[in-house]
Amino acid sequence: MPFFGLILGTISGLGKLSRKKIFRYPCIVYIDFIRGTPLLVQILLFYYGISGLYSNATGNSLQIDPILAGIIVCSINSGAYIAEIVRGGIQSIDKGQMEAARSLGMNERLAMREIILPQAFRRIIPPLGNEFIALLKDSSLLAVIGVHELLKSGQLYISRTFAAFPVYIAVALMYLLMTIVISRIVAYSERRLGVSDRN
Amino acid sequence: MIEIRDLYKRFGELEVLKGISVDIKENEVVCVIGPSGSGKSTFLRCINLLEKPSSGEIIIDGEKITDKKININKIREEAGMVFQHFNLFPHKTTLQNVSMAPIKVRKLSKEEAEKRAHNLLTKVGLEDKANVYPSALSGGQKQRVAIARALAMHPKVMLFDEPTSALDPEMVGEVLAVMKDLAQAGMTMVVVTHEMGFAKEVGDRVLFMDDGVIVEQGTPEDIFSNARHERTKLFLSKIL
Ligand SMILES: Nc1ncnc2c1ncn2[C@@H]1O[C@H](COP(=O)(O)OP(=O)(O)OP(=O)(O)O)[C@@H](O)[C@H]1O
Ligand SMILES: [Mg+2]
Repeated sequence: MPFFGLILGTISGLGKLSRKKIFRYPCIVYIDFIRGTPLLVQILLFYYGISGLYSNATGNSLQIDPILAGIIVCSINSGAYIAEIVRGGIQSIDKGQMEAARSLGMNERLAMREIILPQAFRRIIPPLGNEFIALLKDSSLLAVIGVHELLKSGQLYISRTFAAFPVYIAVALMYLLMTIVISRIVAYSERRLGVSDRN
Repeated sequence: MIEIRDLYKRFGELEVLKGISVDIKENEVVCVIGPSGSGKSTFLRCINLLEKPSSGEIIIDGEKITDKKININKIREEAGMVFQHFNLFPHKTTLQNVSMAPIKVRKLSKEEAEKRAHNLLTKVGLEDKANVYPSALSGGQKQRVAIARALAMHPKVMLFDEPTSALDPEMVGEVLAVMKDLAQAGMTMVVVTHEMGFAKEVGDRVLFMDDGVIVEQGTPEDIFSNARHERTKLFLSKIL
């Protein structure tokens, strides 16, 4: 999920900065729609909405795999947030960098790929880490469509044992553990990549 | 070698260049002086099409670069540019800064490009800094790397936009020395600078720009000692 989100976010972040309207407008619509609606609604819309449309249209019922649906919705969702992070990162790079690259005969694509994006990515590692943590926590919402993620598994366990408090605490601690691991990875890569361009 | 005819540049309502015509010969070193906002940078940036001229034509080596059909990237390969604030790539080592464009744009092999980059770094006196990142260099060293980086593309002309004005005074000399070597090796150069010493010693010609036009031009002698126009005299009295 973080991987697809990152790809989608980079593409639509670049798209929003494009001078061409055919690239820019779809990206703006996508980003604004996703950021302006709750993830829970997006999950329900995608999971029940699409199968509903399908059965209305064809008369057959469609069974979407909830896990697959969950991965798709969460990727699309985080992609929109990552797009804004990527866009901010690109815009924070000094204009002189693009000019220097262009003055050496690099075309815009090459300059973006070799000069601007590598610098932008170093700079956006911390907000990207926050986004991944948010994504991880938000994945608990997938319980509503029956995905057996951490929260749902806990709930099933409670329904058998009636031990609500200890199980929820355990679930919370597991989320905490995972987010701490992500923060550590982020801090580590920040240190690793930061060494070369400290100014 | 460079012919510029009736060059105009507007930014929206603001007319920055108001009809510039000038010829620059091969091996010539032309210094451009003038007050802030007079359009010196814009003029330079038009020569390698970092700014698109509003009208007029620029011909480099018989090639009309203001033609719509021209490949802009090809032109930029021919005109090296050195910026006031260096604009080195901070995520690349000194060697990579210099060898990168030849590899990616000229499609040189990595070995060949790095060999040339080492030679250029030796030429600007920074061979021992090949593997450090720009953040570890002083301002003067950064600007020398920037010069090597531009030279690596074998440009026909080198454009300098106030290459020493962001430097501490003690570092100006080392950069000017590199530029002087370059001029003596026969490079065609257009230099926006207020270093009168450099202009006098190395410059073949000085252009004085004010308010988007070339007010006066001549040998450094002519301009610095016998300026004819009031505006030139006034400007020189302020900076000398
Ligand atoms: N991209 C741009 N958009 C709008 N106006 C611009 C742009 N670039 C330059 N200008 C304006 O054009 C005028 C000339 O700018 P230019 O940078 O060419 O002057 P300059 O002679 O190099 O000055 P300085 O000595 O301060 O560098 C200025 O008034 C500047 O504000
Ligand atoms: Mg300027």
